[in-house]
Amino acid sequence: MGGLRTAESLRRFGYSGDITIVGGEKHLPYNRPPLSKDLLAQGKDFDAVAFPIKDSELKAEFILADPATSLSCHEKRIYLASGRNLEYDYLVAATGLRSRQMHFPNNLKLGRYNLRTFDDAKAIGAAATPEKKVVILGAGFIGLELAATLRTLGCSVAIVALEAIPLSPILGDDFGLAVQKRHEKEGVQFHLNRSVQDLIGDQRISGVLLSDGEILECDLLIEAVGSQTNTEWLEGNNLEMGNGVLTDNSLRAMRIDKSRVEDLFVVGDIARFPYLNIALPARRIEHWNIPVECGKRVGREISAIEGSESSSEFKQGEHFNPLPSFWSDQFSISILSYGEPKIADTISLLEGSLDSEFIFEYRREGSVVAVAGIGMRRKISALREEIRL
Amino acid sequence: MEKCQHYGQCVYEAPNIFQLNSEDKLEYIATADDAELNNVKEAADVCPMQAITIVQ
Repeated sequence: MGGLRTAESLRRFGYSGDITIVGGEKHLPYNRPPLSKDLLAQGKDFDAVAFPIKDSELKAEFILADPATSLSCHEKRIYLASGRNLEYDYLVAATGLRSRQMHFPNNLKLGRYNLRTFDDAKAIGAAATPEKKVVILGAGFIGLELAATLRTLGCSVAIVALEAIPLSPILGDDFGLAVQKRHEKEGVQFHLNRSVQDLIGDQRISGVLLSDGEILECDLLIEAVGSQTNTEWLEGNNLEMGNGVLTDNSLRAMRIDKSRVEDLFVVGDIARFPYLNIALPARRIEHWNIPVECGKRVGREISAIEGSESSSEFKQGEHFNPLPSFWSDQFSISILSYGEPKIADTISLLEGSLDSEFIFEYRREGSVVAVAGIGMRRKISALREEIRL
Repeated sequence: MEKCQHYGQCVYEAPNIFQLNSEDKLEYIATADDAELNNVKEAADVCPMQAITIVQ
């Protein structure tokens, strides 16, 4: 998505050079949020999630199922898994994330799933027939959304997570408890403060052993324990990596020696970009709207360098400062958040009550860094103006 | 409106076209001036459900 949005922005701002979009998956760009919800629940096919692409406007070449394996910034060339290589004037790194995989002593493969790609969602959808016993490892957004979708499909669902309260590291204890209670009311079981110690079964999973010795029956184990950046292909270029790629204020990659790479931009989940107003180190943000905003900006920036974008309202190199946003639907719960709640030092209930709809406000050193709630979308949206990041 | 989940992300990009009503449901004007086209394109881009289709 980040790559597609960059290409669209390049064309919109008049860039007339060639554009090649390289991807590791066999599919054209598609939208991931429905994977854990509608796609699973309604068994839809790829067309339901594919992004519309206007070939006549985009004029881009797609190379699919052929991931980049290495880069030489010096030669301005990328190398692909097939052995092919491509020279560039500008390179946009938008390779995103992959699911983190657990490793167990009895490291069975059959019956284990992740959710990141379209193919992942189809595999879960095919396996998760009613009455199946599903164990979800992780109580973040993907884990909770899957729990709700699979419960609605008639599976029995247990969540195992290290934290004491789901979502509390992101949204705080009170918010997380409110979400947990509603899941419990719908029949989702929580096994918190625990991890999965080992898998039980011969070839195919039949159960999981928890860290406190309890054994849960299990037909499907879904690991929703976070993700890793797809950045190995960028190594060997003295870039400031470690956690994604550090960028300057306008999403150009930074080297270890603090110089910037003028022709390498980083977009989306892998970009670790600096705050404008907050005295914290640069951060990555894994929300859906970030690749959209990054792509728009980078396409415009390159068009400006090339001279096709000369509008007075755009300043080259201006500090990129998007408003992160996320949303999540679980049963009848609709969560909406603007800003970065997890950097807050003070959380207060602004409106509503915890057993129905509510809004929390998140402040850091006195200023608002996020607003988030269940329901009350119009009010939450209106409060986004208060946020400073 | 089948795909729309009423997240309201579009409202910020094209407030003259999209609004959340008092029940937090999305309402929109189905025909827009050309002057709004860029805003509506932005709104379509930021829709998490990709529910906005522009017919010119």
